[in-house]
Amino acid sequence: MALNARFVGSCSGRIAPMRSFVPITIDATWVAVDMAAVREIGGPLTWIALPTASAVLPGVTAWRGRAVAVADLAAVLGSGERLASPTGRVRTLYLQHGTSSLAVPVDTVREPLMIADDDIRPSRVRTDAFCLGEVDVEGHTTLVVDLGVLLPGYRPAAAAAASVPD
Amino acid sequence: MVHVHDPRVRWCVHASQVVRIVAAAEWLAAPAIDVLAALGPVSGTATHRVVVVRGAGDRETALLATGMIEINDVELTSVLPLPDTLAATAPEVAAIILAPDASLSLLLQPSAVIPRDDSAS
Repeated sequence: MALNARFVGSCSGRIAPMRSFVPITIDATWVAVDMAAVREIGGPLTWIALPTASAVLPGVTAWRGRAVAVADLAAVLGSGERLASPTGRVRTLYLQHGTSSLAVPVDTVREPLMIADDDIRPSRVRTDAFCLGEVDVEGHTTLVVDLGVLLPGYRPAAAAAASVPD
Repeated sequence: MVHVHDPRVRWCVHASQVVRIVAAAEWLAAPAIDVLAALGPVSGTATHRVVVVRGAGDRETALLATGMIEINDVELTSVLPLPDTLAATAPEVAAIILAPDASLSLLLQPSAVIPRDDSAS
C-alpha cells in the first residue's frame, strides 16, 4: 500500500509536533497506530494458540524467520469478535517495539495520515494504558493507541506520553 | 520429532525425549497430562494414546495424545524459539515449528510440563 501520509487536524497558525499514524479498523472500532512502530502491513495471518497465553496475546506466528507474539485487538479493546486459531483477519500489522515484535490482525488498514500532537484529545471513554487519546478520522472517533504497552518491560515514548494531559 | 496432530493444536516433542508411546488405557502410573486442556476439551471420539517423555527431575511424564502421531525430521531453521514476550506465560512451549506448507506446531519442553500432583502442592 502507498505510505503517503495526509494531514488531519486544525490549522491554528502555530506549528505543533506531528506524527504519522496508520488508521485501522477492528469490527466497528477505529484505531490509529504510530507509523514509527509499523514494520510491515501484510495479508491474513496463520497463527497458533498457546495453551496458557492471555486473551490479549493468545498465540504466536512466524514472521521473517522468527516467532512473534500475536495480539488480539478485540481482546485489548474489550469488544468485537475474538481471534480463533489458526486464522487471523484480512490484514496484519507487524509492529516493532524495542526488541519485541507483535503481529496484530485487523479488518482494514486505511491511508496513513499526519496528526499534530495538539489534535490528539484525551479519550472520553477509555482510560486504558494503551490509549493515548482520540482524534477524528473520516468522521470516525479514532483511538490513538500505543500497543507496546502490551509487552512486558516496554517504556512508552516520551513524546506520546506528553500529548496526553493528566 | 514426534508430532501429534491434535485437532485443537498440533504439537511435537523431540524424539530423544520420548520413552515410549502406549494406549491411554495402558498407562496406569499417573493421570496423563492434557497440555492443551486450556484450549478446550478433547473430542470424545478421538483415539487417545499417551506419549511418555522424560519430564522434570528425569521422571516419566505421560502427555495425552489425541489424533494421529507422526515421526519425522525437522530442519533446524524451521524451529523458531518462543519470543521473550510469551516465554514466561507458556514455559511448557519451547518453540514453534514452521512446516513447509506454512502450518505451525508447538514444540513442547517436557521438563517444564508440571504433573497435576506437583502443581497442586
